[in-house]
Amino acid sequence: MPGSAIVRHVVTFGRVLREAGLEVGPQRIQDALSGLDEVELERRDDVYWTLRQTLVARAEDLETFDAAFAAWFERAPGRRAARRPRPETVRPVASLAAGGDGESSPPSGEQPARGWSAEELLRKKDFAAMSPDEFEHVRKLIARAGDCRPQRRSRRLRPHRRGRDLDLRRLVRASLATGGDAVERSFRRRTDVPRKVVLLCDISGSMEAYARALLLFLHAVVGSGRGVEAFVFGTRLTRLTPELTTRDPEQALAAAARRVLDWTGGTRIGSSLKAFNDEWGRRALTRGAVVVVASDGWEREGGASIATEMARLSRAAFAVVWVNPLKGHPEYQPLAGGMRAALPYVDRFLPGHNLASLDALAQVLSGIERRHAA
Amino acid sequence: MPFASIDDLQSALLAADYLPDRGLGTALFLALRLQKPLLLEGEAGVGKTEAAKALARAQGARLIRLQCYEGLDVAHAVYEWNYSRQLLHIRAAQEGSVAEEELFGPEFLIRRPLLEAIESTDPVVLLIDEIDRADDEFEAFLLEVLSDFQITIPEIGTIRAKRRPSVILTSNRTRELHDALKRRCLFHWIGHPSLEREIEIVRLRVPGVPERLAAQAARFVQGLRSLDLAKPPGVAETLDWAQALAALGHEELSAEVVEETLGSVLKYHEDLLSVRDETLVGLLEEARSAR
Repeated sequence: MPGSAIVRHVVTFGRVLREAGLEVGPQRIQDALSGLDEVELERRDDVYWTLRQTLVARAEDLETFDAAFAAWFERAPGRRAARRPRPETVRPVASLAAGGDGESSPPSGEQPARGWSAEELLRKKDFAAMSPDEFEHVRKLIARAGDCRPQRRSRRLRPHRRGRDLDLRRLVRASLATGGDAVERSFRRRTDVPRKVVLLCDISGSMEAYARALLLFLHAVVGSGRGVEAFVFGTRLTRLTPELTTRDPEQALAAAARRVLDWTGGTRIGSSLKAFNDEWGRRALTRGAVVVVASDGWEREGGASIATEMARLSRAAFAVVWVNPLKGHPEYQPLAGGMRAALPYVDRFLPGHNLASLDALAQVLSGIERRHAA
Repeated sequence: MPFASIDDLQSALLAADYLPDRGLGTALFLALRLQKPLLLEGEAGVGKTEAAKALARAQGARLIRLQCYEGLDVAHAVYEWNYSRQLLHIRAAQEGSVAEEELFGPEFLIRRPLLEAIESTDPVVLLIDEIDRADDEFEAFLLEVLSDFQITIPEIGTIRAKRRPSVILTSNRTRELHDALKRRCLFHWIGHPSLEREIEIVRLRVPGVPERLAAQAARFVQGLRSLDLAKPPGVAETLDWAQALAALGHEELSAEVVEETLGSVLKYHEDLLSVRDETLVGLLEEARSAR
């Protein structure tokens, strides 16, 4: 075991890393100390690699580690370990959508007429036109709608009465009693398992009310098991998956909004899709997944890059669904450059502007097949 | 044969035709000394799988490889009973019944990579390749094997490793692995090599490649990596390319040569299209300025 000065050093360094957001348990500290015991402590790079390989477990944390190492062991002035931004409890600006684009939806404040259940009215109401109270009410309904999941055939075999593959293991056991005659045959067959779902949600100003609803929807889908990934974008793209599994989705959205929104910049759909394809598509996250893009298709940069990136996306994905709340308006035509460029690569084109259309989205997701016409 | 220091290990790897940088050398050394599995991540084609193979060669150990895929299960990773032999055996016994212990004994067992690695009495490097492709259930199972180095077969009992295999896991990060699994592993990220190192790697792995050509090809590929490509080429692509160029008898790069052979470096149509004309000329000039 290394000397006590080194032990103290490493333990403190572990604390620095923990503070910077890394998960450094006692086992890792133990490994680091045993590792240092094996290498030459005079060689700075050996010490560096040993600590890095024992204390870090995720590629995302390497940069933080490097900064912390530089600050701690080399006392580089002015270079402190970058802290992870922690989401604060700020609600999204709920009033924003009410100012702009909810004109064609029923006027808010209207009391439910007799003969209609309030729920039925709310189902048809545009999310952007809802009062905070009404939205609170539909939260639960959205969560119920999200309890669906597209399925795919697994390669794994499970016992099944009407399967086609003989379960030889069982057969041999059963044959023991009958002297090698397989009297009772059991079968196995492939079962269905949840398909990957990836949501890319535009959270720029015009999309804000819908983004909230969609993320609540997705929060429920995440609850249906692993293999759900959520990303939000405005001028930049950010991954929201970890927040969605552990935190209140609205808090997560608010925190993300501050990270990805540059209010003067407008939406960059093309470059956000590109960022996704480059970083996550390359790691095959898209392969075999149902990708849901939620955006109104307003693009400042022109449609060319959207077409390129949608083509890349659709080649790898199992199916691409585009959710555009503007489609809920009866006279809407997908004329905006971005939207028109994307449509050829979209398998299903849906509105998603109210609860009824989220139900429709849920149905499409659970029964989707490859290459529907949009 | 244990290695006394990182330098020792690195020269043994070099003798096995693999050129690791100090970081990877340290990682492999620590994995051996601390007897912990090593998780290697990095872009495709940076030599993750190759590292395990080289480690086996350097130690004179046997390499046992388990290629992961979705739906990989115990029957394909650990063991399976030889059902047809079992059935024949029951038949052959004719009268008189067959004892169950007899039927589920070691001679009816088909050993798959994990069991083979655990049972081996010779030194073994166990390569669990592309673990991110296997599903959660398998990962959980692997966790058990990697923490205790033992496998339980209900009919036979628990089989403990007589000698711990060195374990290398690789992942392309198509999904995040379980924390519990990561906690049991040392972790090393393999990046693209520096220019000097890449030239050295080409010269080591493509015998007979002209020195000039090796330098130019490596520099050209480094230039490609700085472009905005769908799939930047890895060291594996540089080696493929250098091999192709050497086989065609070229001494150095020219526009025609690059046009003809670029398909062995860039595997995506869009990427091939985007590296045309001025881009290509620029990269080529840069590459040819290499001494």
